Amino acid sequence: MFDRTGNTKIRKKNYPATDYERIFHPRKLAILGVSAGENSIGFGAGILKAILAMGFEGKIFPVNPKGGEIAGLNIYKRVEDIPEDIDFAVVSVAARFVPEALEACRIKGAAGAQILSSGFSELGTPEGQALERQIQEVAAKGIRVVGPNCFGIYCPRSALTLLPGPDLSRESGPVGFLAQSGGMSIDFAHAGKWMGIRFSKMVSFGNGADLREAELLHYLAGDPETKVITMYIEGIKDGEAFFREMKAAASQKPVIVYKGGLSRAGARAVASHTASMGGSRAIWQSMIRQAGAIGVADSEEMAQVTMAFSMLPQKSFRNITVVGGGGAIGVTACDLAETFGIEIPSLSAELQERIGNHLPKPGSSATNPIDVANPFVGPQALREVLLAAAEDPRIDLQIIVSLLFHYKGLAQAMNLPVSAVTPFRELAEAVRDVVDRTGKPVVAVLPNAKRGLESMDVTEMIAMARQEYIHRGIPVFDEMHDAIRAVARVNTYYGGRKK
Amino acid sequence: MKNEKAAKIIDKALKQGRKTLSEYEAKQVLAAYGIPVTKEVLAKDKPTLEKGLKKIGFPLVMKGCSADIAHKTEKGLIHVDIRTATEAKKAFRDIIAGMEGFEGGVLMQEMIKGRRELVMGLTRDPQFGPCVMFGLGGIFTEILRDVSFRRAPLEVRDAKEMMQEIKGHKILDAVRGMEAADQKLLVDMLISVGRIGLDFDSVMEIDLNPVILSGSKPVVVDALIVLK
Repeated sequence: MFDRTGNTKIRKKNYPATDYERIFHPRKLAILGVSAGENSIGFGAGILKAILAMGFEGKIFPVNPKGGEIAGLNIYKRVEDIPEDIDFAVVSVAARFVPEALEACRIKGAAGAQILSSGFSELGTPEGQALERQIQEVAAKGIRVVGPNCFGIYCPRSALTLLPGPDLSRESGPVGFLAQSGGMSIDFAHAGKWMGIRFSKMVSFGNGADLREAELLHYLAGDPETKVITMYIEGIKDGEAFFREMKAAASQKPVIVYKGGLSRAGARAVASHTASMGGSRAIWQSMIRQAGAIGVADSEEMAQVTMAFSMLPQKSFRNITVVGGGGAIGVTACDLAETFGIEIPSLSAELQERIGNHLPKPGSSATNPIDVANPFVGPQALREVLLAAAEDPRIDLQIIVSLLFHYKGLAQAMNLPVSAVTPFRELAEAVRDVVDRTGKPVVAVLPNAKRGLESMDVTEMIAMARQEYIHRGIPVFDEMHDAIRAVARVNTYYGGRKK
Repeated sequence: MKNEKAAKIIDKALKQGRKTLSEYEAKQVLAAYGIPVTKEVLAKDKPTLEKGLKKIGFPLVMKGCSADIAHKTEKGLIHVDIRTATEAKKAFRDIIAGMEGFEGGVLMQEMIKGRRELVMGLTRDPQFGPCVMFGLGGIFTEILRDVSFRRAPLEVRDAKEMMQEIKGHKILDAVRGMEAADQKLLVDMLISVGRIGLDFDSVMEIDLNPVILSGSKPVVVDALIVLK
């Protein structure tokens, strides 16, 4: 493989041989720390029920010294009692029993285990640190560990799910996600579900006693199921290894990095201006850029940018059209485009005339941004507008802003439900048709100015509209700002360091 | 490969238990790595002062030079735009008096003319190791904080990108009758600063501020190297 890093000396790190297939897609799964009873609410029982609810197709072996039964499954008293070898284990027993339980799983043939239990190095106590070292000792004998103190793995293909995630999507997709934080992981998994982000695998690795950021990044870089890597980082263990893997991964596929906990507070006392300029924020931002990865500032941007990378073609989009009606769409679009280095070129007179023929007059404008004058211009007219605008060879991508919430007024006048009068399905169909015919992507923006309690029907209708778009592979953003910023991040990756 | 001349200077300072190199020493280390620095002579007495006057000519800058003195401007130890031997001798006496017995001498250096001041430097990040900095120099370094970093070793592309990354990157273009900066030389300088950081674990921080653009050519006018 071509080494993009040029003259940088690559120190090949030998990671332990790891059977990731059996870790992410186990057929035989042990769950340790499951207490009996339908009303059991411990972590072990919770994850078991969640995995069942997700429709796990393999065999599950619950384990608890007290035995009993749960969800129709026999609870084994000891791992040793499980009648077969296992692929993977979920460990949710008290911290002091974890090393022993892990060893039992290793002997049972598990390729890996995720340890949900807490009570290790995160406590900062000698006991906690000693227990974590014991985990590492067992891991070194040949079982890969995710955690401890984590929410574990989410893998739509196998139905492994995070805690507490009985209702995550089982649709696989291009996005691999890594985070220490279980909370960030489960939130992103849920956000992805309604935003149209589909995951190949997600790993929340907690304390990262064994598997952690650099090695998992290395794995995802080579994973053919994963086309986009997103990660949320708080701290890293080895800056050099992490940088190397981030750079190597970014040379293969987009890597989106949200670094949390950045502050300018330079804890070190320093003598030079250079050192005082450093601080974690400036250095991290530069490291992310140097590696060719994409930095994002918060979890919303992380989700939006991940969606854009996973749904848009792999190229940059310098020239765009913006189509919409009502509101100061044109001015807003131009301001945003300038901020993010995107052009909204005026269309030729001939195209403007053809576009103008489909628009209500007066009040519309067929230059670019194309102001369709009011929010009730129908799907067929918009389809013609988008088709014509795409004929300009400069145009790489189109953004359509639909102020669907205005249909609420129309619905009230007609005494009909807002979802019945809003042609969102036809709009989504028209947009899909435009993309198919022109080969140029369209991004939809569905703002909602009516979010009050009295307009829950609008919120519901816009959620339905979003689904119609997403099912047709059209990315949807709430605001034009989010859409243009996300497209700009895609441009940074495909237009900058990669061709 | 570690540069031997630089190693000698740094080892000597470390043996003396020093935490910094003097400006004169720092510039010798930089010069050993091919980084353009001001032409200069360290004057300790009359004969060396005369030698400096001959070698450097006028106008001239004279500074108190000692590893113990970091911020010279604040202490009145910098005299600029010296145009005669009489002025130089007076400056020499004033600076020696102002140094209050600190070891060192008076650094005589050519006065670099140029309106554009840049900064380069090196810091050791606890996670990422030696990182090179580039930005707007002089008083703007701290006021605007318009700087970028790259982890060493730098590739040519890294150096180019970090220069483009600062908001004020147009300062490097041909502006207001000034020539465009010699980008290739700037790239080499940034790569070399990173190399010093990689070659010497004992170099904790480097500050080259200002690096003045004299026409198109960048020259390091003041330098600080902090040791472990």
